[in-house]
Amino acid sequence: MSFISWQYFIFLPLVIICYWLLPVRRRLLLLLAGSYFFYGCWDVRFLALVLATTVIDYNCGLSIAGQKKAGWQVLGFSLLPAAWLLGCFLWLPASQISLSLLVISAAMGLAFFGAHEAIGLFAGDRRPKYYLILSIVFCLAILGFFKYFNFFTDSFKSLVGVIGFTADLPLLKIILPVGISFYTFQSLGYVIDIYRGQSPACADLLTFATFDAFFPQMVSGPIERGKNLIPQLEQGASFRNSHLQDGLCLMLVGFFKKIFVADNCAILANYAFDPKTSLNGYWAVIGVVAFAFQIYSDFAGYTDIARGSAKLLGIDLMENFRFPYFSRTPSEFWGRWHISLSTWFRDYLYIPLGGNRGAKWDTLRNLAIVMLLAGLWHGASWVFVLWGAYHGALLILYRVVPPFDRIMDKKAKNGAWTGRDAAAMLLMFVLTLVGWAIFRSPSVAYLGTWFGALGNWNAAAGLSWESSAIWLMIHILPLILLQVLTWKYRDEASLSQVPWLARGLVYAVMILLIVSSGEQDKEFIYFQF
Amino acid sequence: MKRLITPACLVVICLLVLAEAGARLFFGQDFSGRFDYGYNPQAGFDEHGDGTVELFRAGGRRFYSQTFQRQRPPGVFRIFTVGDSVPRGPSLKGAYPGLLGQELRRHDIQAESINLAVPGYGARRCHIVLTKALSYDPSLVILHFDDYNKWEDEREWRRSQEFKGWHPRHWLMKVFIFRRLYEAKIEKVFWSLVPEEVRLRYALNDADAQVAAGQDPKEVAARIKLAYDTAVKNVAMVRARGIPVILVTQCRLEEDAQHRLYLTDHGLDALGESLAGPGVYHISMKDVLSGKDIKQIFANFSGHLHKDGHQLLAQAIFEKIEQERAALGLPDPAVAMAGKHPDAKTPGPVAQPAPLKP
Repeated sequence: MSFISWQYFIFLPLVIICYWLLPVRRRLLLLLAGSYFFYGCWDVRFLALVLATTVIDYNCGLSIAGQKKAGWQVLGFSLLPAAWLLGCFLWLPASQISLSLLVISAAMGLAFFGAHEAIGLFAGDRRPKYYLILSIVFCLAILGFFKYFNFFTDSFKSLVGVIGFTADLPLLKIILPVGISFYTFQSLGYVIDIYRGQSPACADLLTFATFDAFFPQMVSGPIERGKNLIPQLEQGASFRNSHLQDGLCLMLVGFFKKIFVADNCAILANYAFDPKTSLNGYWAVIGVVAFAFQIYSDFAGYTDIARGSAKLLGIDLMENFRFPYFSRTPSEFWGRWHISLSTWFRDYLYIPLGGNRGAKWDTLRNLAIVMLLAGLWHGASWVFVLWGAYHGALLILYRVVPPFDRIMDKKAKNGAWTGRDAAAMLLMFVLTLVGWAIFRSPSVAYLGTWFGALGNWNAAAGLSWESSAIWLMIHILPLILLQVLTWKYRDEASLSQVPWLARGLVYAVMILLIVSSGEQDKEFIYFQF
Repeated sequence: MKRLITPACLVVICLLVLAEAGARLFFGQDFSGRFDYGYNPQAGFDEHGDGTVELFRAGGRRFYSQTFQRQRPPGVFRIFTVGDSVPRGPSLKGAYPGLLGQELRRHDIQAESINLAVPGYGARRCHIVLTKALSYDPSLVILHFDDYNKWEDEREWRRSQEFKGWHPRHWLMKVFIFRRLYEAKIEKVFWSLVPEEVRLRYALNDADAQVAAGQDPKEVAARIKLAYDTAVKNVAMVRARGIPVILVTQCRLEEDAQHRLYLTDHGLDALGESLAGPGVYHISMKDVLSGKDIKQIFANFSGHLHKDGHQLLAQAIFEKIEQERAALGLPDPAVAMAGKHPDAKTPGPVAQPAPLKP
């Protein structure tokens, strides 16, 4: 079920009304059932993966904290995904579950149970570490198989082909489960926090399963931390009018970004990055600017709707975007763009690798590794790896190469912006656009076409671009105005500080702009990640 | 504790409610049949208590504002022209139905020529207009036939069916100002700013999806067949009432690979000829306009005409009426002249058209 669907407009109010009428414990049941229903609307089979991740990290988390469940309980939990698939096999023939899938899921459950119990029996004092490894191996195996199997197989075949050998490896027809990278990372972060002693283990399976599958943020984030979300789920908030007001306002801003800005910019971006298009410099620029605003508005819009939906349930989710295109340096950009992912990589990869504590070259190496993996996280394609490498290179460039390193050191005086800040911001925006061109390219080879088009400013070589540029401006200017309006309040989705009359007018205009873009039912870009 | 409804929220609610209420209050007539998209038989026809019928713009039916008597006055030769944007023309007086009325009156025929053409209407929606129009006792019906609008008919049919249902998908768009805003943006902004190639490649809305479907020969053939069948049904319906029909078949201005302009009827003339017979007269736009300065006549690469083109067409129809005067039930010119009423505003003793056998 997408946020931009009529189904969600029935589902959400029903959940909210029931939620506030129920006592805390039953609220969790409602949220879990609602979340599984929300996710199952895409494909009920994938709920088995969510269940598997939940079971693995619930058990490993408890075991790391020294609260290991009895063997028969772990066995029962481990077989839950297979039991779910069996139920679908018996009562939902449309779900197309095969016997082999049932056998594989049961075998996976038994394998996890066996490994878990073996660690308990034989690992001695090093049990926490091995439980952590078990969790990481199983979760990343699921993620790797469903997201990267074909990518690595295909890449390996190409590689051995280059050196004159032939590898007869099969490519599987694998459907990428929606949001698998998000909930896998969220769940892994929880286990690592327990291992580090930064967060207690959640003893209640219902609470943990709800944390793992919380519908507003499960599919595209923000990637929450257990220490932020689990206590909120456990305690349950009392209803306040501000929950309703803030939640609805956040959702409105999210719909504005997604429906009015992103979906309308997508029209031009899709055309410009279509290999069938005859591209010239004008269309290359229009396409990449359109994509820059599309991807930002799409993802930030999703986050706002997610935060708004959670707020309606009295739950605060973390901020995920903070004016990213106003950044002056790459490191500032990553502090403002997809904050929950960049902080995840910082906390669980960059710092364990040594962060910036070692020698300068170690820091640069760590940055490069993290950005390459962050690129790969976005998808199984070399363009994403290249995009990660490009951003890694930018981070390194701004740290070591004059005069970029001076931009890093320059601090704004009292938060006030200077002409130098504006120039740095403009430069960073242009560099970001180059990154988006890499990101959006259908293949690495297509990048040559795109960069080649920048050398061709013959307007006759493509479609008339002027009217399309006007279309683009019509859709990005209101967003820029909104950002300028909210800039001084430091929260790009909150207008609560704006005088009430102006705020009312802005909301009314937003509603009209949203409906002017009509009955669209388009998926969010980040669902594919 | 904060109030549930904040002043900002009140501003939003008030603005939207006032806009919607104002639209429904002051444009209530325009709103009638709004979501029938031309498939409402009543929309656009307002029958007053004083026996007059007023045509107005409503429910996707953009009639020129006109008024006529519900009962045809004795002696009046009433012509209804049904079709799309071509017969609708640039203005009521400048389109060929209006010019034809003038020409007939100039020749002492007490004619009342009503333009019932609506932009974008194909045969299916023309059938709805025609069905209603026949209840007002016309003396002659001019059916302007063009298969160009077959996609619009289909698209609007789907929309009208969707809006009849209870489906939550359409709840938001049942708000008049929202729907109007959406359609205005699509028609005035989207279509004018985003190149057709971009829109068609991704079929961005139902209108574009229809046009994109036009690239499938099978789909095109099925649509044209439906348009033809409906045109045949329309002619038969009029003839069943004994009313004579002039079938005007559309031609279009096109350009070949060498940029030479030419006229094409897309096979419509053959249909027109096949339907011609007792009481059904065929006029081919292509025949009428061939050999003329087509750059002067056509407004663009379509069937749309400048006033000169409308004038030529009106003249051709007038000549056909003159030629078939007896069959159309019009009196001999000498008789008409003798019986001409001294007061030009009062209808003269024009004979009633005799019912013709189909």
